[in-house]
Amino acid sequence: MPILDIRHLVKEYGGLRANDDISFTLEKGELLGVIGPNGAGKTTLFNCIAGLHPVTSGRIFFDGQDVTLKPAHEMARLGLARTFQVYTAAGDLTVVENIMVGCFLRTRSRKDARRRADGILYDLKLSDHADTLVSELPVPAQKQVTMATALGTAPRMLLLDEVAAGLNPSEIDDIMTSIRHIHNEMGITVMLIEHVMELVMNVCDRLVVLDYGHKIADGTPADIAANAEVIKAYLGERYVKEHAGELS
Amino acid sequence: MEALRNAFDFSDSPRVDLVIAAMVAVALLLFPLFSPSSFAIATIIQFFIFALYGMGWNTIGGYGGQVDLGKAQYVGIGAYTTAVMLIRWDIPFWVSMPIGMFFSITWSFIIGYPLFRLKGHYFAIATIATSLVLKDLFEIWDFVGAARGLEISPIKYSPPDFLRLIFKQDIYYYYVIFGFFLLGILIINWFRRSRLGFQLRAIKDNEDVARSLGINVHLSKVKTYAIATAFVSMVGSFHACYIKNIEPEDTMSLDISILIALMAMLGGAGSLWGPIIGAGVLIPLKSYLKEWLGARGGLVGIDLIIYAAIIMVISAREPRGIWGIVERVRRRKRL
Repeated sequence: MPILDIRHLVKEYGGLRANDDISFTLEKGELLGVIGPNGAGKTTLFNCIAGLHPVTSGRIFFDGQDVTLKPAHEMARLGLARTFQVYTAAGDLTVVENIMVGCFLRTRSRKDARRRADGILYDLKLSDHADTLVSELPVPAQKQVTMATALGTAPRMLLLDEVAAGLNPSEIDDIMTSIRHIHNEMGITVMLIEHVMELVMNVCDRLVVLDYGHKIADGTPADIAANAEVIKAYLGERYVKEHAGELS
Repeated sequence: MEALRNAFDFSDSPRVDLVIAAMVAVALLLFPLFSPSSFAIATIIQFFIFALYGMGWNTIGGYGGQVDLGKAQYVGIGAYTTAVMLIRWDIPFWVSMPIGMFFSITWSFIIGYPLFRLKGHYFAIATIATSLVLKDLFEIWDFVGAARGLEISPIKYSPPDFLRLIFKQDIYYYYVIFGFFLLGILIINWFRRSRLGFQLRAIKDNEDVARSLGINVHLSKVKTYAIATAFVSMVGSFHACYIKNIEPEDTMSLDISILIALMAMLGGAGSLWGPIIGAGVLIPLKSYLKEWLGARGGLVGIDLIIYAAIIMVISAREPRGIWGIVERVRRRKRL
């Protein structure tokens, strides 16, 4: 049974169809990337899955259960966590306190929440920053904290919205290490939106491509890089020529 | 058990804060022994009352960032419940206070459910409106004395009546409210370290993020609003026994609501000590300025001008209030 099953999802804002008849499934343990040009409807798709915005029509199943119009806090309880594109974690909380907010979903005890948070900090190599205010951290560390906070809710599936945006190559390497750790060691199914092709092509098992609210392709990174429609809509001829060697 | 341990756990406050807090507490404990003027005692009682109102407000308004300008309605519910029960049926304070809290919390759920669908300024305006409507209702409700209000006139003053909280000397009120004050600090310390406190801080920052972390935003707000309400109602009941003369116009006026919020904001919304500092600065200032300038020089109203100027300066310099300035100075030293 797939962990996520999206059937004919449509989301309209006013007259605009941000998501138009999107269907795909995601197996447990997969690492799926969602790519596409700006305005293709990627974040809208995340918002619908996470329950922040109600879908216009279509169905969403999470772990076999119909969750189509479930509110976000119930989705989190069911085991779906997400990060936000433009979210610097709560500024007047320290790093560990931020993660504790997530941990409090599964426990009432402060001590227990603290223990879980410390474990996540250790896993993501953030222990040194535990008592720093999030607003005082450099941007790459803040990105790691947003992932850590989502992990605090002990999810089975994690949605990452552009966690590598604006980072330099070595910082992107760190983020990739964290994503692989979350996926391989923690055993969490990951679905991510990303424009940084290096990350997408390296860590994802499979890609879904959106354009103007439609799904235009679905396949392995190599398939996608060779797909004429995707090249035209998003990747561009230059990208394919420059990376021809790596992808085949 | 863990909740109780958390209430007494101040380990995340710097030691110097705790030393100062302990010194202030001891000073307040011993102060009446130095035979101060009754004016001084009355001022400090007002300080305790407003510090407690501010602490209650701070849960939803400070930690939760929901600017509530309708706290006076709960002062009124608490005060009227205690006064009516005492006058009509001779029910002691310790029974009527929790009943008043029950009424207040029930009312807070009734209006909290719809009100928390609103955000920002709309929420603030709606809290003002409900408070004023309740005040108007009390003004025409004969059972509670309508606009004339109620007067608690004790048959005899001595010996001190701890059951009904009717005393001739203010010194007894001083120590009773001092006890509430210490208890209030413990409750807020529990709150800010509790799951609910963390959830509220996340909500203040970004509601969508809070939702995605599994927080039922609406429910958390309503719950916290009830805690804030319980504080205010409790002190409202005390206020009735202390003042002995309550009427809608001064117990439930908009001034009270605004003063509660302003004091907490001035001291530092969303911090443990903020509302106490705010009340500690504004209440003595207000009552002494009024006494010295207003009565003596005929400069009526100058207290309000000075009072407003301080608020403007503080809010322009540091929106997180006096406590915000303290934290900023500290951080600069550390770096």
